[in-house]
Amino acid sequence: MEKIIIWILLGFSLGFAETHLLLNPSLENDCLQCHQNQQIPSNLIYKRYLMQYSTEKAIEKAMFNYLTHPLISNSIMPPQFFLKFPMKEKSMVADEVLKVNIKAYIKHFDVKQYLRIQK
Amino acid sequence: MLNSEKRSLLRFLVIYLTSTLLLFTLASGIFFLFTKHHLLDTQRDTLRYESEIIKSKLRVLHQSNTIPLLYPKHDMIDSMIFDKDKHYIFGTLAKTSWEESQSHPNRLYYMAKVEPYYLGAGYVLTSQMIDYDVITDLKKNIFLFMLGAGIFFSILAYYLGHLFIAPMRDSIKQMNHFIQDTTHELNTPISTILTNIELIETFGKHEANHLELKRIEIASKTLSRIYDDLTYLNLNHQYHRNIITLNMSTFVEERILYFTGMIEAKNLTIRTDIEENIIRQIDKNDAMRLVDNLISNAIKYNKHHGVLEITLTKMSLIVKDTGIGIDEKDLAVILHRFKRANKSEGGFGIGLDIVNQVIQSYGYILKIKSKIDKGTEVEIKWKK
Repeated sequence: MEKIIIWILLGFSLGFAETHLLLNPSLENDCLQCHQNQQIPSNLIYKRYLMQYSTEKAIEKAMFNYLTHPLISNSIMPPQFFLKFPMKEKSMVADEVLKVNIKAYIKHFDVKQYLRIQK
Repeated sequence: MLNSEKRSLLRFLVIYLTSTLLLFTLASGIFFLFTKHHLLDTQRDTLRYESEIIKSKLRVLHQSNTIPLLYPKHDMIDSMIFDKDKHYIFGTLAKTSWEESQSHPNRLYYMAKVEPYYLGAGYVLTSQMIDYDVITDLKKNIFLFMLGAGIFFSILAYYLGHLFIAPMRDSIKQMNHFIQDTTHELNTPISTILTNIELIETFGKHEANHLELKRIEIASKTLSRIYDDLTYLNLNHQYHRNIITLNMSTFVEERILYFTGMIEAKNLTIRTDIEENIIRQIDKNDAMRLVDNLISNAIKYNKHHGVLEITLTKMSLIVKDTGIGIDEKDLAVILHRFKRANKSEGGFGIGLDIVNQVIQSYGYILKIKSKIDKGTEVEIKWKK
């Protein structure tokens, strides 16, 4: 019985590590923490970028542009989105760190990792 | 059927069938290419349809929040998605470059643009193995059609050919009948003339008109030989040969003696080199036709005061003259019936045709060497 409880606890902790520990700490602190607090749908935002720009390079460029110049016209989201969610303040993070965070963000939400061939 | 008829029919068949075959091959080739493209387009339409299905499923997947995202799979058709810069995203085939993904020669490909870029896909590439069975069936059907058409047109050409040469055959028949009747009518007067000349010579009543009588004798012998040749030609291959052991040496000397009158009339110098006791198994009339035609031609086409050489060996009979010669371009056709290289002398052009027929019957070999204004040498080799 003890062994079973240990295995269950170990499984839970590994599962938690998979979803959280693999995240870039900088991305977690600089971006996602705030997104989660404000319930901003990061996954949805990424999909809009993907549908609009297709390639990683183009998405990185567009995100960087928005984060350094946060305007409605630079945003991938429609104007109505900002009626519900506040406009982001200009990022104070250094450009290099910001670029690393963007790459980590894209990697985290990349749909390729979830694609499987239908059987 | 005569040789000339066979030749004409054969030529017609070759020209008609070759041109028909070329035409049908060309038409079948065009039809094959057109139909093959149509069949491939049909298969490509399947790919286009499948790519539309994939595009709609990509839209559903893009909007889905479930994990994993199940990429659609088809049993026969493979598909891949690429981003707008043509980098591989995902697919039923292993990761590959844009160029390599379309390089298999036995596969068909169809590329469709995706817009907006669901799951980041700018392009959907669908691909399947080319279905060669339908193309093989097409080839088989075209082959059967060509075979059927070939048989039909061969039969048609054969009947058409016979139809076309019918007038020629009738003309030849009429000419043969005419020659047959003429030769029949010539026989009696020629025989009478020759018999009476012999009688005059026998009883010595010809001293006063010796020269004139000689001329009549030569003319009559010429007529007699023409008669023999025409009779032989009329009988064609129905001629019955009586093969005997013939001493050719004696025989050739006898025939030279027979032509003495003609040789003297043209003031020819005759040189003979006849080996003794050359024996051949041959019909006497065939031997006569052979030797007489060669000597007669050598006299007829020789120059006045020319030389006539006759050589007989175990290997061959050679008759050589110093006459007008035969042009090189005529040598190939000189053996054809009614063909005369030079029309300055009389004759029907049947002499060498008869010689050729006789040597073919016995398996001999005929060789003719000639130079214009130098003379002609005809050689008959007894054995191959």
